[in-house]
Amino acid sequence: MSYKLLLSGLLLGSVVTTSLAQEGKKGDVFIRNAQVLTVTNGLKENTDVWVKDGLIHRIGTQLEAPKGVPVIDASGKYLMPGIIDAHSHVALESINEASSPITAEVKMEDVVDPFAIGIYRALAGGTTVSHAMHGSANAIGGQNVTLKHRYGTRNPGELVMKEAPRTIKFALGENPIRVHGRSKNLQPRSRMGVEAVIRNGFEEALQYKRTWETWKQASEETKKRLAPPVFSSRMETLVDILEGEIIIHCHSYRADEIYMLIQVCKEYGIDKIVFSHVNEGFKVAPELAAHTMGASVFSDWWAYKFEVYYSTAYNAAILTKNGVITSINSDSAELIRHLYHEAAKTQRYGGLTDEEALALITINPARQLGIDRWVGSIEEGKQADLVLFNQHPLSIYAIPEMTWVDGVNYFNRAKDAADQRLKVDPEEILEPMYLHVNHNNCMRDVDFYFTGFGRNLFQHSH
Amino acid sequence: MFIYLKVSDLFYPLKNPYFRLMSSHTIAKYLIFCWSFFLCTILSFSLYAQSDNEGKRRLGSSYFISNTTVIPEPGKLLQRQHILFENGVITAVGRTISLPPEAQEIKGDSLFVYAGFIDMANKTGVTEPEIPEKPKDFDSSNPAPEIAGIHPHYRVSSHFLENNPHDKEWRQLGFTLAQKLPLGKGMLPGTSALYTYGQEGTNNLLAENQSLYVKFSTVGGVYPNTDLGVMAKWRDLMQNARLYKEHETRYAVDKGVPRVEKNPVLAALIPVIDRKMPVLLETSDELDIQRALKIQEENELRLILTGVNEGDQLLPTLKERGIGLVLTLHLPEDKFSESSPGEAGADFESRKERVKAAYQQSLNFAGNVEKAGIPFGLTTKHLPRGDFYKNLQLMIKNGLSEEGALAALTVNPATLLGISDMAGTVSEGKMANLLLMSDTLFSEASKVRMVIADGYVFDYSEKTDKNKKEETIWEYKAKTPGGTSRGTWKFSRNEGKWTGSVTYENPEGSGTRTAPTRTEEINADSMRFSFSVPVRGEDLEVTVSGTISGDSFSGEMKLIGYENFPVKASKKDKPERSNEL
Repeated sequence: MSYKLLLSGLLLGSVVTTSLAQEGKKGDVFIRNAQVLTVTNGLKENTDVWVKDGLIHRIGTQLEAPKGVPVIDASGKYLMPGIIDAHSHVALESINEASSPITAEVKMEDVVDPFAIGIYRALAGGTTVSHAMHGSANAIGGQNVTLKHRYGTRNPGELVMKEAPRTIKFALGENPIRVHGRSKNLQPRSRMGVEAVIRNGFEEALQYKRTWETWKQASEETKKRLAPPVFSSRMETLVDILEGEIIIHCHSYRADEIYMLIQVCKEYGIDKIVFSHVNEGFKVAPELAAHTMGASVFSDWWAYKFEVYYSTAYNAAILTKNGVITSINSDSAELIRHLYHEAAKTQRYGGLTDEEALALITINPARQLGIDRWVGSIEEGKQADLVLFNQHPLSIYAIPEMTWVDGVNYFNRAKDAADQRLKVDPEEILEPMYLHVNHNNCMRDVDFYFTGFGRNLFQHSH
Repeated sequence: MFIYLKVSDLFYPLKNPYFRLMSSHTIAKYLIFCWSFFLCTILSFSLYAQSDNEGKRRLGSSYFISNTTVIPEPGKLLQRQHILFENGVITAVGRTISLPPEAQEIKGDSLFVYAGFIDMANKTGVTEPEIPEKPKDFDSSNPAPEIAGIHPHYRVSSHFLENNPHDKEWRQLGFTLAQKLPLGKGMLPGTSALYTYGQEGTNNLLAENQSLYVKFSTVGGVYPNTDLGVMAKWRDLMQNARLYKEHETRYAVDKGVPRVEKNPVLAALIPVIDRKMPVLLETSDELDIQRALKIQEENELRLILTGVNEGDQLLPTLKERGIGLVLTLHLPEDKFSESSPGEAGADFESRKERVKAAYQQSLNFAGNVEKAGIPFGLTTKHLPRGDFYKNLQLMIKNGLSEEGALAALTVNPATLLGISDMAGTVSEGKMANLLLMSDTLFSEASKVRMVIADGYVFDYSEKTDKNKKEETIWEYKAKTPGGTSRGTWKFSRNEGKWTGSVTYENPEGSGTRTAPTRTEEINADSMRFSFSVPVRGEDLEVTVSGTISGDSFSGEMKLIGYENFPVKASKKDKPERSNEL
């Protein structure tokens, strides 16, 4: 920490840390007589929720609606916290900087696309927060960004959830091996290589840190025999990971590689790590519970490549029962629209309670992203990210009707226009019928150069 | 940085107050020095003149545009003015100047004189630099900077062909000065330079290292590969340039410091971090502008954005931060204004309306930038020449004032390029870069009559006089059974009558022969003539006929008594008529 201060001091105040991120809009709303699924405090029947200045102001029965605040009659309807997706690539212009096995320096914040229609579609499925991640091409990928779906702004900075801590993407297994090893003849060419890349990265970061400390602590007299060290934002970021300032979100499938990274993290004193996908997580559930911030899984998605054959739909339930903080993520612009279905599957496969199932898409992903103080449940003082369903959200018949972020209504099914795009290309070629398919997935931008030729390189997406 | 040789400079010592303190002897010696320098220059010019058999050099360098209408700067119009320029510099503008005996007169009584246009962020005539080969054990994650498209130390002047045909064509539209950008596939292609579109064969470079060109683009296949990598790489380069500078500073005072390993990439960035050189950043949409704002915020750079075509809501921020804007003249294509409604259903119609609205917004943009109070320049990059006046007029029809349009081509780019002292207006002491129009600039019928660049006069007036001498040269190719036959046709018209000659490959031996043409019928869209070829004592009659479209001819060559052969010909560029009135 002090080292960081020293460094910024050295650079002659050249780094201005103010950002373009602006205060998002904040709204007021009074939701009357809802079935309130608080997630952290059970179901509150026939309850009013008063949102003031973007925050949940009061939760109670028979509250008096304040003047001038829009009132929503939610009788017979279900209000739950906005759904949080811990693994998404929606609203990003680029996803992979697939040119190096370690690209810890790149920031998804630089490529946020506020015009992505996927944000609105996610809102229509009740998702209010997504973790916009770097792809899985590199062993250590870029720094992710946590977005609040304030659709309608043209300013990418306004989508960024300022309170969210820094996170970074790691990736194990076949993707980095194929991209770098098989295509470019670099490390890693095997799972052992992936571990080596990560360890070498951490070791180099420790050397980097020492070099800079030596430089900063040197007296002016000593400096007359030293050259200023080279700056590397890649190493800076790795140092920050080692110092616990960044949460790792690691793309992983197999139990052996998951256990490997748990060991590596223990060795380097890193405890902020979440595993993503984790199809074989059920095999190492106690270890995940003891040493990590949890696992973010698919409900039932597997067999799209060799390393994802050993999978089960009971994964989320087994992890939950073993005390692992578990979330269900989308990693897809389509799944992000019905994560409540994905959560409901854990009741069929594993018999989770309503509260446990809903936690998978609300408070648990919030904890994994380090934002559970602000979002993830309906509690007084929390940010008013809310979604109103016509029925219980774990019912197959449930339909999201309205979605709020910071108390501002961004989706209303009754007012859902056919064309919700924010920006239109003046030279767009129109066809009478069209289907637009978004390819926002883990391997986008891993272009020709990095995929090489071979079977099944372009089809799978995680 | 710029050197002018003005006659008035030779008398400068007399105006200098310090000379009052000098003895008359010293002044005399000084004057002799100045004049002998001047005479040497004259002498070397006249030596050159002897071998100037193509007549490319101007005969005199002093011109006088008489009794004309001058628009010295946007929003001002002065009538019955005279303009005198000598040696490429405007020396006087006004009503009371008289025509000096050595000056050539350009009659300006029907003309409107504007400052020559300035193009920003232009790439015509620039070639891509050669990039070093990738080594055998190439590591694409850590490439040499040049291979990754990171070569800010490259200068466009090393890769610019001054005598390229495009710039001449742009000059014909009124451009007299351009900022040339380096080419390169990656994020840092190099530094820009300023060139005047003056006489070919003279050195037209005005300034180098003019700005650092930055793009959000990558070479592909190496680090950095996307905008993600470009942003990260840029941050590292900025920080390391600062450290490099610190190292150099420390080494300069203390040689006990390990020596500075020369790094041309970082060295080239120091003027940027010192705010001595602006960054010219290419943007393609408003998200690029957002990234540019981030870059500027992080490093407090002097920033000019080019290629700007949208971002209405960002204008207040751009203005507040003093960021320069260069708008693209390349407007989107109008796809739907003409289409008939109702063919494909209501959903299609509503989407069509949105595209039309987006198109309209693009047309309004220049006017909105003007209203926001941001003086902007324009770039012709990617613009077909035929669209230049058309698009300017579209901008004007959709909210840009005529003064604003003129400013965007003259005073604004001069300010953005830091050359307001030498270009942008018609006034004394500025470069003689002028545009002489037949009418006010943006009126439909207005035509470019002459362009004066760097004091050289380029005459583009149409010769409406039928009796005026005209000359055309065609290069033809005829397909005959014996192979392709080539040669030229040369026609000239004098007093309304055509005469011509043909060259053809000698059918009886090697070399070419020339024959006069007969019965010429030459029109704008067709041509017919005949000539004789003597073969073994007999005259073979050949008739050529066909159609002309633009600069190309297509038709057939008929040999009487034999068969017909297809023939194609193209008109050779007319030699440009500079300094010829």
